[in-house]
Amino acid sequence: MIEKETTLYLGPQHPGITGNMMIKLKVKGDVVTQAETHVGYLHRAFEKLIERRNWLQSFTLLCRFCVPEPDPMELTYARAVEQIEGREVPPRAKYIRTIVAELARIQSFLLWYGGQSGSSGLYTLGQWSVGDRNYILDLFEDLTGARIYHMYMWPGGVRRDLPTGWIDKTYKTMDYLEKRLEDYNKLLFENAIFQKRAQGVGIIPKDKAIEWGVVGPPLRGTGIKHDVRIDEPYEAYADLDFEVPTYEGGDVWARALVRRDEIKQSIRIIRQALDKMPSGSYYNRIPNPMKWTVPTGEAWIKTESVRGEIGFYVVSDGSSKPRRVHLKGAAYTHGVSVLEKILPGQNIADVSFILNSLGVCPPEIER
Amino acid sequence: MQENILNQLNKVFKIKGQVKSPLRIKVVADKDIVSSILLYLKAQMGFIHLNHISCVDWIEDNKFELVYIVWHPEQKQTVLVHTFIDRENPVMENIDTIWDQANTYEREMREMFGIEFPGLVGDREFILEDWQEMPPMRRDFDTKRYAQETYETRPGRENARNVRLEIMKRSGEELPDFAKKYSRD
Repeated sequence: MIEKETTLYLGPQHPGITGNMMIKLKVKGDVVTQAETHVGYLHRAFEKLIERRNWLQSFTLLCRFCVPEPDPMELTYARAVEQIEGREVPPRAKYIRTIVAELARIQSFLLWYGGQSGSSGLYTLGQWSVGDRNYILDLFEDLTGARIYHMYMWPGGVRRDLPTGWIDKTYKTMDYLEKRLEDYNKLLFENAIFQKRAQGVGIIPKDKAIEWGVVGPPLRGTGIKHDVRIDEPYEAYADLDFEVPTYEGGDVWARALVRRDEIKQSIRIIRQALDKMPSGSYYNRIPNPMKWTVPTGEAWIKTESVRGEIGFYVVSDGSSKPRRVHLKGAAYTHGVSVLEKILPGQNIADVSFILNSLGVCPPEIER
Repeated sequence: MQENILNQLNKVFKIKGQVKSPLRIKVVADKDIVSSILLYLKAQMGFIHLNHISCVDWIEDNKFELVYIVWHPEQKQTVLVHTFIDRENPVMENIDTIWDQANTYEREMREMFGIEFPGLVGDREFILEDWQEMPPMRRDFDTKRYAQETYETRPGRENARNVRLEIMKRSGEELPDFAKKYSRD
């Protein structure tokens, strides 16, 4: 054991995450003794800018809160505005929103596969999964006209109806992905390197997890069954049958297993939603957006995103612009206080690995 | 269940809350007892998860509204504790002894709204480094003026020429009036 303590700056650019974030590590030899998160490289003042835009213009900024998964942001904000305003959403729109949210979940998990395997040196899987992710982006392009930032789920429903042939194409893509998951399993979860690297690393204690503010796959990886889709069902989730996978252990391995199983559940949800797709209107039209005012009120709305529960606290003062839109992302706790607690005692080489398994997304911390 | 929570809070702290929806309870309290309410909610009533701390600037009333959101993992209930503090001299009790992660929120609020939390551990800056201006999330912070004073204008864009007209002239095509075409009126 080396007794001399050295300071090591990990980041702002490093393979652990999508985005820029620096972790100041105190190390003895290659063991971390103290970690400190430094953010500030990606602050774009979105929440401030939203206060100067009308309720609909905000969508162009909202979806950029977190690059790998813009859809839960749109969905949560749209639901918050609907709750303040008391606007009804047609059943067809609810089903379409559920499908889009789950497609977004799968594409983000596929991106995570790339990050998680890449940070342990297994680059092949990343190439495959990012390639397969493009099939989902193709579906998004057909549906919304855009691949990454859709601005598709608006207050009152969705912006467009399903295009002709989209349902069949989605079924086919789901069949293809289901087959590919077998290959992913062989390449990552049956790989001795990944097993050795992931097991027993970055443990979150089960008894402290909720108190620390851990949510999403990291929480379910400690064996606690919490999912906003079950606890406070929104959109069409109450009508659909799915399971919430949990694993014991709280380490990187358990979190990876949770994510692996969640992709299967997402495919199951999408198939059911496509089967049950109601007919009718897809949009409860809002008035002229330039003159549209939302009555005074506030809403705290939660959605299960890929990285865990995200929430929007939205306040309206009765004008045509939001008074306050405040995001609480999963990364806000995962990337700062939780990370600082679990890093001491870990190896330097595992820091990026743990960061990725917590699903830290720096733009969401700073906004 | 929600009535029980409200009754218990009323009994201990003499505050009245309201049920906003089946899973949301709103409580407005004086700023001096907020930390006691939060500690009681966590230690005695099982609201062990701190969801969020938000701040709203009500410049018209010269007040900041702080909102603490806590969640109960078994009952699935959420309590929103609202409090108002003076905008001129914003000081609020630090609660990072109750929840560690509150430290992050408080450091952000100190920078963005200028709210002081006496005893807040960690003097280090969170997002804004070497910020000399007014706290930027305050309503009276002029974003446009700050941008104009801080950043240079990109050369070649000062004269605001109509690019559409230029394209029309070069291609010889007539461009549709988009505002008119997509107007609902």
